Amino acid sequence: MTLNRRKFLGTGAAAAGLIGLNGMPLRAQQNTLNVTAYGGVWEQAIRDCFVAPFEAKTGATATVSLGGPAQWLAQVEANPENPPLDVLIMTPDLAVIAAEGDLMDDFTVEKLPNLANIPQEFTDACLGKGTYFDYGVGGITYNKQVVSDAPKSFAAFVDRVASGEFVASVPSIQYGVTPVFFIWALNNALGGTVDNVDPFFEAMAKMKDNLVFWAGPNDFFNHLASGEADLGIYFDGRTWNHVDQGIDWIDFINPEEGGAMTAVAIQKPKNASDLAWDYLNEVLAPENQSKFAEILNYGVTNTEVVYSEKLASRVTPLSEANLPPYADIARVRNEWVDRWNREIGM
Amino acid sequence: MSKTAQISERTRRALLLAPALIFLAVFFVMPLVDNSARSFIGEDGSFTLARYTAFLTDSFYLGVILETVVLSAAVTVISVVIAYPVAYVLVRKAGRFSGLIIFLLIAPLLTSIIMRTFGWQVLFARRGLINQWLVTDLGLLDTPLRWLNTPGLAIAALVHVLVPFAVLSIASVLQGVDRRLEEGALVLGASRFRTFFEVTLPLTLDGIGTGAILVFMIANGSFVTLVLLGGGFQTLPLLIYQQFNTTRDFALASTMSTILLVIALACLWLQLRLVRRQGA
Repeated sequence: MTLNRRKFLGTGAAAAGLIGLNGMPLRAQQNTLNVTAYGGVWEQAIRDCFVAPFEAKTGATATVSLGGPAQWLAQVEANPENPPLDVLIMTPDLAVIAAEGDLMDDFTVEKLPNLANIPQEFTDACLGKGTYFDYGVGGITYNKQVVSDAPKSFAAFVDRVASGEFVASVPSIQYGVTPVFFIWALNNALGGTVDNVDPFFEAMAKMKDNLVFWAGPNDFFNHLASGEADLGIYFDGRTWNHVDQGIDWIDFINPEEGGAMTAVAIQKPKNASDLAWDYLNEVLAPENQSKFAEILNYGVTNTEVVYSEKLASRVTPLSEANLPPYADIARVRNEWVDRWNREIGM
Repeated sequence: MSKTAQISERTRRALLLAPALIFLAVFFVMPLVDNSARSFIGEDGSFTLARYTAFLTDSFYLGVILETVVLSAAVTVISVVIAYPVAYVLVRKAGRFSGLIIFLLIAPLLTSIIMRTFGWQVLFARRGLINQWLVTDLGLLDTPLRWLNTPGLAIAALVHVLVPFAVLSIASVLQGVDRRLEEGALVLGASRFRTFFEVTLPLTLDGIGTGAILVFMIANGSFVTLVLLGGGFQTLPLLIYQQFNTTRDFALASTMSTILLVIALACLWLQLRLVRRQGA
């Protein structure tokens, strides 16, 4: 066969067209839902606690996409008419951004009967377009073999790290929720406000010679395990997960001022499959949340959930945690990040 | 050859090139153009250079650009200096052990960069292996040294990752050097030192250039090592990641990545010019 230029161009155009078509998000099968999960133990917990009961009740299938909220939100923003994901797990600040961008559906008890047992403030915090289903608290995690008398408050933490008594591992600005669970929490404890974060930056300046920064949770654990740091700012649930894995030298303190409640929100993008409501209702069901909490050691939000004795001693009660003003933080977050870059570095 | 046959031949060549060209166009050129275009579009949809003006007139961001280039250049120089003797031994002295040396060079690349970086953390932590030797086992120090989050360790970790690229580039050129030229210089009375610097080294500039370009480009975009080992460096790749992950300022991220691309291309052009001039 002899190919001439016309045939070649035609073939090329067809190939490019096919590639272009391939780039278009194809709607999932009618009875298939695409939900989201963080990796590791999170993914397994999502599959066991929410996907399995959803599939058993509806006969539908749920595929689990791994990743992170910033990536998932960008995917929905890129194609809001035909979102590639049906249920999003979000950080509270991104949940506000997604809600303000009118990208998400309203959560109502009519659509989600189990929403009736979720405190209204959690749905309000997502502007009615989502709710929180799980939460952890950022506090002080320490190596018991090195730190016999751990600081009980954020203020004591700052003073004792600044004095050189401890080397602390704190989240770097590269970690997505640092502005909320570290900057806001420490600033709030030291008397600052959302519009005045000087107390936080002054504290960081005092501690700077005795700080190391973690870019991700595993990084923090390495700092403690390798002896690079003695203590640091970390999450309660992740600390207890290490304990359950046999790490007996690690412990957690919720500071006296109260750590920041770092919640996990769920949302349904507009134009996503209506099957998402069935899945979301399973996410909010007390029996499923109870199982989820036992696996992850984090608190859950359905007021009907009764924790086991072991978990009850670990989960920080909502009354002892501070709910950050996520919407206000979202407004000034970029200014905080810019100031961090200029005064602290990466 | 008839005209039809000529067209057929040209078409066949084009067809052979087509998969690679389409792949590059769709997965490299189009995303790159789309990404750069985002940086020139204002919030009202009009063309703007405001982000570039703001970025390039801010002393903080200029410092970040300088730091990115200086870090990449330092890593490149150190890597090439380390790589040349290794490449020399590999080609000229190793004999039947050359395969083993190549394996040892490449073996670290088979491990995830994250695992290798965590390895540096374990070795150089305050109560890590090195400090344990220095303080406890050998008693040379009273208190452990703080290695992590220092510029030196971050550079060392980058060099560790990138040296194999320089070694392999230099070795492949060194392999092709005509030994008779060096023997000629020696016979004519040049010392081994002079022979190396006036014959061998100039003949391997292409390899040094290729290795330096490879190392510089990878160092220029390096991310994981700097995130995990810190070193206090503020580089463009770290800021770009931050715009996606924390602040969601995609337009600023596009601006930074376009600037990073221009810097990389400018340095590539300069290095190529330098190597060609030296080799001429």
